[in-house]
Amino acid sequence: MAEIGRVRIRIPSSIKQGDVVKVRVLVIHPMEIVQRRDGKPVDKNYHFINRVVVTYVGKEIAQFETTQSISENPFFSFAFKATEAGPLKVTFLDTQGGRYEGTTDIKFS
Amino acid sequence: MRRSRHRAAPAVLVALLFAAGCAQSETKGISGLPPTPWVSRAIPEATGDVKTLPDGKRQAVRYRGWTMEDFGKYRTYAYGDSRPEVAPARVAMPAVAGDPKKGRSLFLARSLGPCTGCHLVQGDDVWPAGNVGPDLSTFGDRRLPDEYVFNMIYDPRHVFPNTTMPPWGTVGVLKPEDIVHMVAFLKTQKGPLWPEKNSERNPETRPKPVGFGDNLDPTNNPAVIRAESAEALWARKGPAGKSCAECHPGGPLQAMKGVATRYPKYVAPYRRVMSIGDFLAVHSPETTGAPMLAQSADNLDMAMLVKMASNGMPVSVDLASPENRAAFERGMANFNKRVGQRNHACADCHASGKGADRFLGGRFLGNAQAGLTRHFPTWRTSQADVWDMRKRMQWCMTPLGMNMLPADAVEYAELELYLTSFDKGKPMSVPGIRH
Repeated sequence: MAEIGRVRIRIPSSIKQGDVVKVRVLVIHPMEIVQRRDGKPVDKNYHFINRVVVTYVGKEIAQFETTQSISENPFFSFAFKATEAGPLKVTFLDTQGGRYEGTTDIKFS
Repeated sequence: MRRSRHRAAPAVLVALLFAAGCAQSETKGISGLPPTPWVSRAIPEATGDVKTLPDGKRQAVRYRGWTMEDFGKYRTYAYGDSRPEVAPARVAMPAVAGDPKKGRSLFLARSLGPCTGCHLVQGDDVWPAGNVGPDLSTFGDRRLPDEYVFNMIYDPRHVFPNTTMPPWGTVGVLKPEDIVHMVAFLKTQKGPLWPEKNSERNPETRPKPVGFGDNLDPTNNPAVIRAESAEALWARKGPAGKSCAECHPGGPLQAMKGVATRYPKYVAPYRRVMSIGDFLAVHSPETTGAPMLAQSADNLDMAMLVKMASNGMPVSVDLASPENRAAFERGMANFNKRVGQRNHACADCHASGKGADRFLGGRFLGNAQAGLTRHFPTWRTSQADVWDMRKRMQWCMTPLGMNMLPADAVEYAELELYLTSFDKGKPMSVPGIRH
């Protein structure tokens, strides 16, 4: 797999102030699934993303709690209203202390 | 004079013995073909093997989920396969009463064709019909003689020597009695036609597929991530203690820039035409020592990575060198060669004026002459997997009743060269994303 934690964000090529913008984010992560032994889940600290935080111009605008039911290399898509120009940051936090960030600049044209 | 004749006789005899006893030497002397049959370096399910079971039955080894039926009795694209096209045959129409109901269910039976893959008939349950062949919704109004229609289905080549339609009776897919029922059914197809409830039922008015968005966007095409994963493979040392990166410095995107635009091409050390995937299958074990079998994930991912280094650059396959020219000619001949149980050629479905840009059932057929190679290997949304052109070719041939060739077969490489020639000058864009 490609390097873990690489975040890629896609936004529309042209955004106008006040537009509702659809954002597509992809992060490289193994999202380890539950192993079972004799039918019982193996007790261990699984490696998966459990929190996604979206900030826009310094303000937190969304937070998602995620579980192992989400696929490897998870892809998230959400919409927000672009009110001002500035950075849109998506942070992924995993169960083993990993913190992966991706930032894109919201600019108006 | 007498002497030399005496001397010449044994030489001729030796040559004859050689030709007869050594079928594998058939390719000898043809410019651009390996002197001995190519030993496949593909994963077991991609080598086109046919095994014999303990009970003596023959079973084809194919990818998981594909039919295991052995189509050994039908001719293939293999250059060593010199069997002629099955000759047009004719039988007398059996004297049974045609049952239009039975005929209709045979016409729609998915195990037998289905006829609706190419021909539209009446009925909302006819879904999805194709338009490779003529619309038969009002065929009964033509009042053609039964005998004529029967023979058209049995083997249409008597009337249309270059038809796209398989000789259903001659190859034994349809029994003569079945065809009598179908003739009775076709007589019931009469106008006037009701207005269509759903415009998508009729392939003529059905919208053409529009694609799946940006193929190079990793958030849209999972194959991009897979291709990037090959960067680790690029840097990894093989059993021979070397990695790709050591001989090709600067990273794959720099080192391989423009390389893929020239493939498939004749590769002199191997004395055959190769695609990137074919080349990797021999080059990797010879240099790094790591196997990279055709159709393995490593091979596909690395082929994508190498091709991505040429994205945006025009395809520039060489069609002028004698070896490439000869291979192109053989590829073209195979494109037009009728093979398999269905007696189809690639051209039937993928040439302009034939099936290309029409619907085969619900599937929209690609047009070879418009170029359909620049995006391979491609993500297939219907399979949730990466397929290269070879697997696509193998899959194309299997439902047509032809035993597939090994994924790295010379025949496929030369067919690929022929197909790639139509993309010459157009920008590469790998990996693609298709249905």
